[in-house]
Amino acid sequence: MARSPHRPQRAGRRLSDGRSRAIDSALKRRLEATLGERLYGPVAQRHDTTEIRVAPGDVAAVMRTLHDDPDLRFRLLADICGVDTGTTMQVVYHLWSDTTPDWLRVIAADLDRDDPRVPSITFLWKGAEWGEREAYDMFGIVFEGNRDLRRIYMPPDYTSFPLRKDFLLPDDASRSPGMGVRHMEQARRPADAPAAAPRSAKAG
Amino acid sequence: MSTTPQARVRSLDDPELYVETPATIFDAIPPYPPRTEREAEFYSVREGEMLINLGPQHPSTHGVLRVVLKIDGERVVDLDPVLGYLHRGVEKICENSDWHMVVSHCDPLEYIASMFSELVPVMAAEKLLDVEVPRRAEYIRVLACELNRISSHALFMGWLALDLGGLTPILYGFIERDEIVEMLAALTGQKLLFNYMRIGGVNGDLNHEFMSRLGDWMGHAAQRIEDSQTLINENEIFVKRTRGLGVIDRETALRMCLSGPPLRATGIPYDVRRAHPYGVYPELEFEIPTREEGDSYARYQLHLDEIKQSIHIIDQVLHKLPDGPVMAKLPRLLRPRPGRAFAAIESPRGQYAVYAMSDGTDQPFRLRIHDPSYFNLQSVGLLTPGHLIADTMAIMASLDPIMGGVDK
Repeated sequence: MARSPHRPQRAGRRLSDGRSRAIDSALKRRLEATLGERLYGPVAQRHDTTEIRVAPGDVAAVMRTLHDDPDLRFRLLADICGVDTGTTMQVVYHLWSDTTPDWLRVIAADLDRDDPRVPSITFLWKGAEWGEREAYDMFGIVFEGNRDLRRIYMPPDYTSFPLRKDFLLPDDASRSPGMGVRHMEQARRPADAPAAAPRSAKAG
Repeated sequence: MSTTPQARVRSLDDPELYVETPATIFDAIPPYPPRTEREAEFYSVREGEMLINLGPQHPSTHGVLRVVLKIDGERVVDLDPVLGYLHRGVEKICENSDWHMVVSHCDPLEYIASMFSELVPVMAAEKLLDVEVPRRAEYIRVLACELNRISSHALFMGWLALDLGGLTPILYGFIERDEIVEMLAALTGQKLLFNYMRIGGVNGDLNHEFMSRLGDWMGHAAQRIEDSQTLINENEIFVKRTRGLGVIDRETALRMCLSGPPLRATGIPYDVRRAHPYGVYPELEFEIPTREEGDSYARYQLHLDEIKQSIHIIDQVLHKLPDGPVMAKLPRLLRPRPGRAFAAIESPRGQYAVYAMSDGTDQPFRLRIHDPSYFNLQSVGLLTPGHLIADTMAIMASLDPIMGGVDK
């Protein structure tokens, strides 16, 4: 960790050997022992983040365990957001605890894209209320148990959900410089090539 | 030319009274049936209560926040913040621009301290790309951020006093801010939206004008802060109007997802620079000041303590600053491998985070921006009821929201 400032620097070096932190495998074991079969796939660890996936129905129970378990103590909700992968919806929570140097990412995976529903976590973190309202406003994800689930940014008579992948920007916006290099690449394509379909995540 | 028949709607002054002016969504009582339990509860007005709009153009709302207050005489019974007047859809814009452009789109979010709002997406992109930033660039980032933190905190103290009716402190706050802003303008070429951070480093190396301005300022910075403290620290009116106001305890602060000074004012030493270190902060010595009271006055004092710590950090950075390049060598077109990354930093207002997803193209697949002002502002609904209307401003100012970040 502590490196001499006089050591020559090679810019653009990979993170893997030098600065990256040791992966917290103890946390992985603890999560596997505590959550057991409620985990929806293996525990993934990269950089400084440990990632678990749970079924949407299990969110409330899993979050309560993570919050209350004396060995986990994830008392601080760092973020809550919705994600549209193009095929399914997800709700992603980031948690912080003093028991581990890692962020914990909890992904409520595979929400139905036509009717995304997930239990609210406002019974643990009242402050998640606005986060859930924002996810509802932008993605249409319904958080069951949130007392105040209405639009927060868009006007009340608005009907669509802007951050969904099938919400495309109007033509003038996609021709703007914001499209950047991608737009230049498209311009070079032969005229009869099919138009680009809406993106969907390879990341999953 | 036909006129549309106008519906009879409830008067804003007296809900029992029906008038013929058409109601719009800007009226205190919305012209549509309540959508949620909470909305129904809030907009049913009892005997003696009434609803008034605070904002969206009220100067004490720090931008364009509208708060519907339900008041009984001079006392606030309940309130309902209405957001979205400044919503630009930055997250959607970022999904449609390439990784380098994301920096300048995120820049104006927290416009009082924009070094921070451009640093986070850059850090998230670096994590996705697995790039190591040269050490000199890391130190310069810390230097620029801490300077910006001081300028933001100096303005905070002025604002707080201004919302309580004192005009003088903000003038002193701007003196401090002006010197730092001039300094950063020498470094970055901009005074407000710096656009200085780059994926893989910073835009330019330190120059002579910046260093000489910084040297001048460091000589009297600590003394200047002491001086401006004495202006309001023991001012009886200021203390009476902030002490014991908007008290929040530890458990509630965690439950409300507070971060930054409002959280540390309750005694929880959560600072991302120590709780989850990034950059070169592990190599720097500084304390995390906390207070136990959790009221507006504690939040004010905490800002003063943090300025002192920031000056201490800048001093160390200037002694430790290594030589070397300030940019990693990266291709112009960035295509991170598919993956997810979460980066968080401690901005003057709390934990500023970005959750980025890449699908292997040159544009982010999803870029979630977590702004601390948004989550801190939320607790104004918890802190204000029971206080006077005038105290609403004092509580709101002590939470220090920036509407550019709240509305994204």
